[in-house]
Amino acid sequence: MMKDIVKLGLILAAFAAAACVGLAFVNQATEAQIAVNAEKQLNESLSGLFPEAEKFVDATAELKIADPAVALEAAYLVERGGAPLGVAVKAKGQSYGGPTTVLVGVTLDRRIAGVRILDGKDTPGLGANAMNPTFFVDKSKKTTFPGQFSGKALSDPFEVKNDVVAITASTITSKAITKMIKASADAASARLEAFAAAPAEAAPGGK
Amino acid sequence: MKRLWKIFKAGIIYENPLLMLMIGLCSALAVTTNVSNGVGMGLAMTFVMLFSEVIISLFRKVIPNSARMPIFIIVIAAFTTIIDLVMKAYFPELSKSMGVFIPLIVVNCIIMGRVEAFASKEKVLDCVADSLGMGLGYTWVLVGIAAFRELLGNGTLAGLQVMPASFEPILFFILPPGGFLVFALFISLNIWLKGRMQKASAKAEAKAEEVAA
Repeated sequence: MMKDIVKLGLILAAFAAAACVGLAFVNQATEAQIAVNAEKQLNESLSGLFPEAEKFVDATAELKIADPAVALEAAYLVERGGAPLGVAVKAKGQSYGGPTTVLVGVTLDRRIAGVRILDGKDTPGLGANAMNPTFFVDKSKKTTFPGQFSGKALSDPFEVKNDVVAITASTITSKAITKMIKASADAASARLEAFAAAPAEAAPGGK
Repeated sequence: MKRLWKIFKAGIIYENPLLMLMIGLCSALAVTTNVSNGVGMGLAMTFVMLFSEVIISLFRKVIPNSARMPIFIIVIAAFTTIIDLVMKAYFPELSKSMGVFIPLIVVNCIIMGRVEAFASKEKVLDCVADSLGMGLGYTWVLVGIAAFRELLGNGTLAGLQVMPASFEPILFFILPPGGFLVFALFISLNIWLKGRMQKASAKAEAKAEEVAA
C-alpha cells in the first residue's frame, strides 16, 4: 500500500518535472519577445497620446493616485524642447473580468490628451471591446470607448450613461475603466499643479 | 491508412465535439463573436489536443490508472501554457482579444474527454488522426458560428467592414442569447448533414451488395 503511494507520487513528480523543464525552455524563448511587445506597445501608445512629444521622463515617484483601488504603475512627464506638454499615467485597476491596465495622458489645460487600454481580461465580444480598435460606441463618429475621452475636460463628471457612453451590455467594465481613467487623470493633474507652482523645474536644460 | 482516415473524419461531422458530443461549449460560445477569435481558438485547441494526445498515448503504458487524471492535467496545462506564451510573444493582438479563454483551455472538456476516452488507450498514430479530426471539427464550427454572428451582429468579418454602411447591426447576435440561437442552428445543420451522409453511405453499401450478388 505504502509502496504504491510512493510509486504514484514519484511518477507524478516525474511528469511534473518534465513539464517544468519544457515550460522553462519555452518561457526563456518567449520572455524577451513578450517584454519587447509590451514596451513597444507602451511607446506607441505614449507617442500616440502626445504626437508632438520629444521626451518622456519617468516621474513615477512624483505621483500618487488617491483611489486605493487603482494602482499606479508608471508616470511620465511629457516634454518638448524642455517645456512640459503634459503627464502620462499608467495605472492598473480591477474591471469585470480581472485586472486592466490603462494609459491616460493629461495636457497642461487639464484636458485628457487620450486614453489607451493596454491590457485587460474582460469577456471577448463584450467587455473586451474596450480594447477593440474597431468597436465604436458612437458608430456615426467612429469613436471607440477609450477614444471618447480624448479632449475631455477634467472638470466633467465622468459618469457612465451621463457624459460617458457605455459599451453595450458591459456597464460594469465601462464604469470600472472610467473610474480608473478619472483617478489617473486626477493624479496627473495634481502633478501638473506642481508645474504651475514651480515653473523653474520645467525650465529648459532639465534632464 | 483507411482506419486513420475514418478516425480523422469522425471528428468533423459524425462525432463533432461541439455539435454531437456537445462538450466544451462554454468557451466556444464566448469566443465566437469574431472570426479571428474563432480561428485563433480553434488552432490553439488543435495544438494543445495534438500534443497532449501524442504524449499521453506514448506514455499510456507507464501512466498508472489511479493517478491518470493529475498526469493528464499536468500534460494539458504544460501545452496550454506553451501556446499562451507563444501567442503572447508572436501574436500579441490575437492573444489580447482572446483574453482569459486561452489559459482556460486547460479545463476544456473536449481535450480532457479525448485524452481520457481515446489517447489513454489507443496508438500514437490513431491519436494524431483523432486530435486533428477533432480539432478541425472544433475549428470549423467556431469559425462558422463566429462568421454568422460577427456578420449580422457587427457588420464585419475578422474586423473588416463587409456590410454596407446602411446596415444596422443586429446586436442580438453578438450577445449570449444570439450565440445560443446560432449554435442551435448549427446543431440542426450538422444533424441534417449526418443524415444525408448516412443515407449516401447506406445506398453505396446496398449497391455494392447488389453488385456482389
